[in-house]
Amino acid sequence: MNDTRTPKSPPDLIRRYAELLQGAVFAEDPLAAETALADAADLGRRLVANEIPLEEVGELHHEALVRLAHAHPDLPLGQIADLITAPLMEAHMAYSLAFREQLERRAEAIVNARLEQSRRLEAIGTLAAGIAHDFNNILGAILGFSELLGDELPAESEGHGYLNHIQQASFRAKDLIAGMLTFAREVEDDPIPIDAVPLVQETLKLLRVSLAADIRLDFAPAAREAWILAEPSQIQQIVMNLCINAADAVDAHRGRIQVDVRLIKPEDSLPMVRLTVEDDGEGMSEEVRERVFDPFFTTKAPGKGSGLGLSVVHGLVAKLRGRIVIASAPGRGTCFTIDLPQTQREGTPLSEPHSIRETPPKQRDTFE
Amino acid sequence: MIKVLIVDDDEIFRAMLLAMMRREGYEVSAVDNGREALQRVEQDPPDLVITDILMPEIDGIELIMELAKLDARIPIIAVSGGRRTISLEFNLESAKLLGVRATLPKPFTRESLRKAIAEALDQDQKDTP
Repeated sequence: MNDTRTPKSPPDLIRRYAELLQGAVFAEDPLAAETALADAADLGRRLVANEIPLEEVGELHHEALVRLAHAHPDLPLGQIADLITAPLMEAHMAYSLAFREQLERRAEAIVNARLEQSRRLEAIGTLAAGIAHDFNNILGAILGFSELLGDELPAESEGHGYLNHIQQASFRAKDLIAGMLTFAREVEDDPIPIDAVPLVQETLKLLRVSLAADIRLDFAPAAREAWILAEPSQIQQIVMNLCINAADAVDAHRGRIQVDVRLIKPEDSLPMVRLTVEDDGEGMSEEVRERVFDPFFTTKAPGKGSGLGLSVVHGLVAKLRGRIVIASAPGRGTCFTIDLPQTQREGTPLSEPHSIRETPPKQRDTFE
Repeated sequence: MIKVLIVDDDEIFRAMLLAMMRREGYEVSAVDNGREALQRVEQDPPDLVITDILMPEIDGIELIMELAKLDARIPIIAVSGGRRTISLEFNLESAKLLGVRATLPKPFTRESLRKAIAEALDQDQKDTP
């Protein structure tokens, strides 16, 4: 973590502040007074740069004032207070300005990060579609020639069996390409009622291919169906990003990622669909947990993660009017819980009793 | 014998389709772009055209539009493996709007090819009493 975030003000800043007040109070000519004011403004900016919160600036000021009074017991306190008003205002105004600039810079960084992410997704989409086109031609040739070769071989021969395997493999590749295209297709801002259960399942199937073989990925949804208002690609991206994060957390050992979709009825809100992604990986410290949604914050090795995955998840959940909660402790894994407003299945009212009841876990899918 | 013209710029796929159609008993020729296809159609009109959509020079959609202008009304099967950012379904749907008799997404099986041919040629008989 960053040392400049420690709550106590650095001693040199306190000393600097005291000197400054002294300079302002005892300025003998207008130029010296102006210089003291400029110094005060400079100090205000430094306080922001050092991430010293406003309430501590007040303490800092108090401390400097006490030092000043101690150094000049002859001066009445009232007179000191009068004299330091101008530099104090100057320091505070510079502080506010610098603080606002810093906020704007941060907001800009977040917007840029989102733009960059959508550009990247668009580029990936174009690339994926291009690859898919060529790949389908290649698959077409493999499939066609293997069928033709099948004519040449006796029906019960071993070779015929091998050809069947080639054809099955080709069909699998075809499905994979189709899935990749669905995922990569340009994101349109047009939410529709979708059932999260098959969508999550489909996404995990795609994801399985890119995860290390010794990571277990389980999906045993408690809900039979879970309708939400979203774009399929948004849910796919949430699931992908969380699972990739989980996979990195369990990387060091034979880990397990558990994904669940269930229906809940919180007392304080409408029925929700709850998506959880839980891993038994390294977990997070409180400090990491606090910053985990910040753009560009990453604990991964340089080049291994952009630090954008979870901030994108956060952005998407907010966009879908949902909420996200993290439960994690070092060495004890991490669980992301996302609640999204439940919607009615097309043509079915939400008030039907089945929408709240939790269905018993059905057959567990393990993507291996 | 039914004459079939295959138009596809992908060499290995074209070779496969050529071999498969020959084995199915058709008289087959193949070209790798729309321009050549139009020349071939002019010299020796086929009974069926099987064309890819994404090709250099004159692409499949243009070829289909050109063929539609001819009196011969040659039945067409459009095949596609998808196209850049536009989806495969969109390609094949637009081909259908242009009067293509049957469409096939790549990759396809011999069985679905046979169905598409039957569809294209059968419909042709119904259209021309």
